[in-house]
Amino acid sequence: MNEARPTPGSSLALHTRRGHGTERFILRALAVGALAIAAAYAFALLFLLVRGGMRVVSFTSYATPLDGIEGEERMRFGLAATLFAAAAWAVSSSAKRLVPSLESRAGRRGSRAFIALAALVGGLFVRDHLPRFLIALPSETHAGGGVGPEIFNTLYFAVLSTAVTLPIGVGAAVYIARFAKSRPFVSTVRTALDTLASLPSIVYGLFGFLVFVVEMKAGYSLIAGALVLALVNLPLVVGVAEEAIRAVPRELEDGSLALGATQVQTVLRVTLPHAWPGILSALVLSIGRVFAESAPLIMTAGTTISRSTAYSLDPFRGGETLAVHLWYVNSAGLSPDKADVSAGTAAVLVILVALTNVLAARIGRLGGVDPGRRAARATR
Amino acid sequence: MANQMTADSRAELGALRAQGGGRIVDALVRLFVLVCGVFVVVSTVLVIAFLAKTGIKGIREVGLAQIIGHVVWKPEAGLFGGVPLIVGTLISAAGAVVLGAAPAVFAAAWVTDFAPKSLKTPFRRLFEITSAVPSVVYGWLALSYLVPLMDRLAHRLYGEDAQVGGEGLASAAMLLGVMIVPTVTILSLDALARVPQSLRDASAALGASPLQTAFRVVIPGAWRGLLVAVFYGFARAAGETMAVQMVIGGARQLAPNAFAPTTTISTQIVMDMQNAMPGTPESDALYAMALVLLVLSSGVVLITRGLSARRSL
Repeated sequence: MNEARPTPGSSLALHTRRGHGTERFILRALAVGALAIAAAYAFALLFLLVRGGMRVVSFTSYATPLDGIEGEERMRFGLAATLFAAAAWAVSSSAKRLVPSLESRAGRRGSRAFIALAALVGGLFVRDHLPRFLIALPSETHAGGGVGPEIFNTLYFAVLSTAVTLPIGVGAAVYIARFAKSRPFVSTVRTALDTLASLPSIVYGLFGFLVFVVEMKAGYSLIAGALVLALVNLPLVVGVAEEAIRAVPRELEDGSLALGATQVQTVLRVTLPHAWPGILSALVLSIGRVFAESAPLIMTAGTTISRSTAYSLDPFRGGETLAVHLWYVNSAGLSPDKADVSAGTAAVLVILVALTNVLAARIGRLGGVDPGRRAARATR
Repeated sequence: MANQMTADSRAELGALRAQGGGRIVDALVRLFVLVCGVFVVVSTVLVIAFLAKTGIKGIREVGLAQIIGHVVWKPEAGLFGGVPLIVGTLISAAGAVVLGAAPAVFAAAWVTDFAPKSLKTPFRRLFEITSAVPSVVYGWLALSYLVPLMDRLAHRLYGEDAQVGGEGLASAAMLLGVMIVPTVTILSLDALARVPQSLRDASAALGASPLQTAFRVVIPGAWRGLLVAVFYGFARAAGETMAVQMVIGGARQLAPNAFAPTTTISTQIVMDMQNAMPGTPESDALYAMALVLLVLSSGVVLITRGLSARRSL
């Protein structure tokens, strides 16, 4: 991921030597084309955010009353706390950029306290005044439906599937990179991962439907969807984790072995802590894919939200995510404001996915920029 | 979790080592990672086996000749002609590659060799985010803004009273083209960056202009990586489900033109699975179609892997 890129034009300053006549025209056409494509995508993203954001803010009525739903209060508290913590984080990090002296230990502690305080205050006092779109129940027939349970389900799916992907993915990566003795078996595992990665997502859906929903009689359930998503994400996590483990400097491991540690101790205390940022960024990326996936979930977790279990932690209930909701509203929804509901849902979804991407890039860079501190931590 | 394991087991490990019990932890960890490796293989085999078992049962019940030779897909009448589905999948994915791949590759070529340096990272970030945007979001955008546009275009082309509309292969191909541009762009950027700087320098030293260098040295030098990028785009387009379902119209027929509703394999699976009871021929036939899709897409992936394995640059 962080391989050194040759910088074109570094030695001969290629792009200072422009061509003549036709060449100049072709070059200009290429530039205009590339910039137009980029601008179109950027505009589409911006449009999604603005249009959806307007809907999120301006929803005014609850289609269905919210009282008496188990866990609803907690969800609202969590949402308010998260929103306010994010705002406080943004404020404090831009303050740090403006006032460099805040970049001290006391400054860091202060900003952490500020964020915690903002989360608490927001959660306690603003939870009843949140944008209604974010907390209301969805409605198929009336205007004014929200996506509260969908947001909860989307995040819950991320937790459930990561709980499966993380140990198995990291374990398999460690095995391939450090413990495997037989080459044929390693190449079998690799082929298996390549095959998994190449399957169309609908195939995962059919598999999950057949095995978890029908054969194991779990019915449409979150756990069936989460297991399918864990399978979908396994190739990505194993691949990146293996790369991160292989990138750990050999000297560190040799040093640990020379000190008398066994190979297992070396892997647990030196290799994995050192490879951790890479593994973490793979996990964050895989969470982004959980947010985005829809076809396998339609076939394993269903397309409904039940009022009584909207925020239940029971993994054997069914439930839809934001992506599934966006599809369902457009294909089967009857509500008169489905364009607005879709816009809001799409905006929330895009924000979530963009956040995971930015976060993954940040964590990944964490792995490349400051190896000294990580090495120190790993070998402490 | 692995991190916590380290932190938590640190003290334990020390104690165990003192008693000579480190071997148990050692053996347990070794066993765990081995089981994880085996799990990956077993789950892959299971996915393929379940699909193949049910799919082959479906092919037996219906007959291979009907599945890949007949044009009427009508589960309620016991007719499972898969041709409209297969044709829909192939044409929409091929159309997506035609519309989306070339612009993506050229944009990547321009960014790699000619764009100002300050533009490169934002360009890449933009396409990383847009390639992660859920496909249903693209589908919804296309449904609300592209389909009405195509509807007007279709009526202008075929006349006001013609049986044409915005939903159909044209919209599906355009939507898929838009969807694969980010993926193909990023893969192309990687492929072009792998061309060694020395080749560019040599070309410039021979008196080639930057444009000649780009088109006669860099792009040919990276053609294998670029081809992999395009194939990858095709595979993604062929496997795409929900977004296509939203714009293709969902009519189980061969499309007479690009503006008539038709269907694809994955679309039909999602639609029919909702009312097919598992174990019935209807459901088995859908698994058979999934098997066809799998063969299609893994064929492409195999070609891709053959190409990228021999990557010598």
